[in-house]
Amino acid sequence: MYGGLHSPRPLPSDHALLELAREFTPRVEARGPTPVLLDLHGLGRVWPTAEDLGQALLRAASERRLTPHVALAWTRAAALMAARGRAGLTIIPAGQEAAALAPLPLLLLDLDPQRQELFHRWGLRTIGDLAGLPAAGLSSRLGPDGPRLRRLARGEDDVPLVPTPLPETFALTLDLDWPVDGLEPLSFLLTRVLEPLCHGLAARGRRAAALALDLRLVDGSLHSRTLKPAAPSVEPRTWRTLILLDLEVHPPSEAVQRITVRAEPTPARTVQFSLLDPAQPSPERLAETMARLHAWTTAGRGGAAALLDTHRPGAFAVGTFLPGPATGGAAAGGPWPARVALRAFRPPLPAHVVLRDGAPAFVSAPGVRGAVVERAGPWRASGDWWDVAWSREEWDVALGTGIYRIFRDRLREAWFVEGELD
Amino acid sequence: MGSPLKIALQDLLRARRLQAEAPPLRGEDRRLSPLATGIPAIDVLLGGGFPRGQVSEACGPASSGRTGLALGLLARTTRRGALAAWVDPEDRLDPTSAAATGVDLTRLLWLRGQPRTSRGLPEAVAAVGTLLGSGLFEAVVLDLAGVPVPEIRRLPGATWIRLQRMVEETPTVFVLLADAHTARGPGGVSLRLEPAGPRWSGPPGPGRLLRGLGAQALAGGHPVRRTDLELQAFS
Repeated sequence: MYGGLHSPRPLPSDHALLELAREFTPRVEARGPTPVLLDLHGLGRVWPTAEDLGQALLRAASERRLTPHVALAWTRAAALMAARGRAGLTIIPAGQEAAALAPLPLLLLDLDPQRQELFHRWGLRTIGDLAGLPAAGLSSRLGPDGPRLRRLARGEDDVPLVPTPLPETFALTLDLDWPVDGLEPLSFLLTRVLEPLCHGLAARGRRAAALALDLRLVDGSLHSRTLKPAAPSVEPRTWRTLILLDLEVHPPSEAVQRITVRAEPTPARTVQFSLLDPAQPSPERLAETMARLHAWTTAGRGGAAALLDTHRPGAFAVGTFLPGPATGGAAAGGPWPARVALRAFRPPLPAHVVLRDGAPAFVSAPGVRGAVVERAGPWRASGDWWDVAWSREEWDVALGTGIYRIFRDRLREAWFVEGELD
Repeated sequence: MGSPLKIALQDLLRARRLQAEAPPLRGEDRRLSPLATGIPAIDVLLGGGFPRGQVSEACGPASSGRTGLALGLLARTTRRGALAAWVDPEDRLDPTSAAATGVDLTRLLWLRGQPRTSRGLPEAVAAVGTLLGSGLFEAVVLDLAGVPVPEIRRLPGATWIRLQRMVEETPTVFVLLADAHTARGPGGVSLRLEPAGPRWSGPPGPGRLLRGLGAQALAGGHPVRRTDLELQAFS
């Protein structure tokens, strides 16, 4: 048996009838806020007769302060049209669909304006008028649409029920009997919330791109945290670790009375693994590792360096560590020459430099001191005259303790040790 | 197996198998194969490269080529598509040098310490533990060069044993850079570098360039094996 719900009056919300229908069955098709079609098969053990079921629907609607038209029939078309055309409760016995629909106006067939005008010119006013026409005649005049409309007018089903999916809200709340203080007991409780939440996400082919955690504290305040890792995840263990790491840094001020976790769903990534490409690090483990290093990353002391598009020496920025896909490593083969690297002092060490014939002869700076044994330079460079200008004169000098790069800031007329060459 | 597609696939698989430098395929265990630095003299000296799952060290005084050697290792690692990390309690890494050496900076996690803070070194060691425990990084370098020896000695005695235990179940190469011998795992290598002086492009005077640094690398105990190392300057 099928049911139809229709409300000619404005509804308190677009989902009011849908939510009412879902109290009875998950197989519900909403055609906008109204009408709503219900698949009521298999409810005979709870409501033995159609009358009982109809009254139950009316009672449930009344509890929600709704006054919909309710129709029960053995075909979907009949249930829907009867609900739209008749007030109160309508029950159409099996086989009597055509007779029950016959007095209803033709408008309920949702005809397009041209077809409606045509039927009006033919003198058709009710659904019964159309249902009484011969199928062959309709077919010869209207093509395949003619018999289809006639079947519809007789209450015969043409299209299957297409259930409206449940709204994707992924949130779970856990009310605690006793307040919980400390992260360790909270860890177990988080697992209880996160496991079903992640299971629900996975069942719908979703992952959580972000997670909002609301902790209701015993003093009535709300401790809210939002986590957005680099990669979406559906692993409860990963999320629990990320939450605990975050709560270590931002602990709640009081004991926790209620835990609410809301996930922001995102479609699961589809990865076609390649036989020949290198294995990629798991995004979840990478996100977890970066969360464990939060003391470094949040202070801007951890990440991937990027060189800036400037000639200013030592210009770089540190950004989020998000390694892209590997390119296959074709460029890595073969021997690679060893290179001299600079071990930079940050900031450069202010130095006192003794010059002889215009070249450094002695360098003295904190931790770096000695006579210059050999040198190369000077190499002059300048730039950014339109912004924060810089101009310097570089020397590579060999002291008894190592090879250093020193420079003279020509704008400030001061010497610095930039770093050790190693 | 006569189709051209199958033959091409077989060739690819064979090439991948023969190319020991290629990143591991899914499920392939590379724990027993050392990680080559790409510097032929050093790889020969170390018997193929730095061993995986072991604490190794490259130590030497200033300008002995420790940093250039370690960046060479990371360049090779990151260019093959693997991830690497540089833990830098003294904040001495120069990204320009790293990029010039060939390091793919997007695949290098750089943790910069705060020099002159008492918690800098313990925090760096804790970060190394996290990196090793993750198993995501093929090479992890802890740069202790320039860190005063008393500060290193103030670390808990079990620090290096703990790190060895963490790394030994992973295919990660863990290298300590230091001024002097600090620690080494039972199967790790201790590479000592001794500076052999700078190489200049010509006689003293204007236009002279630093052409590179010379160094001598020593490994092993009895007998000590040694090789000469030349590091090229960028300019």
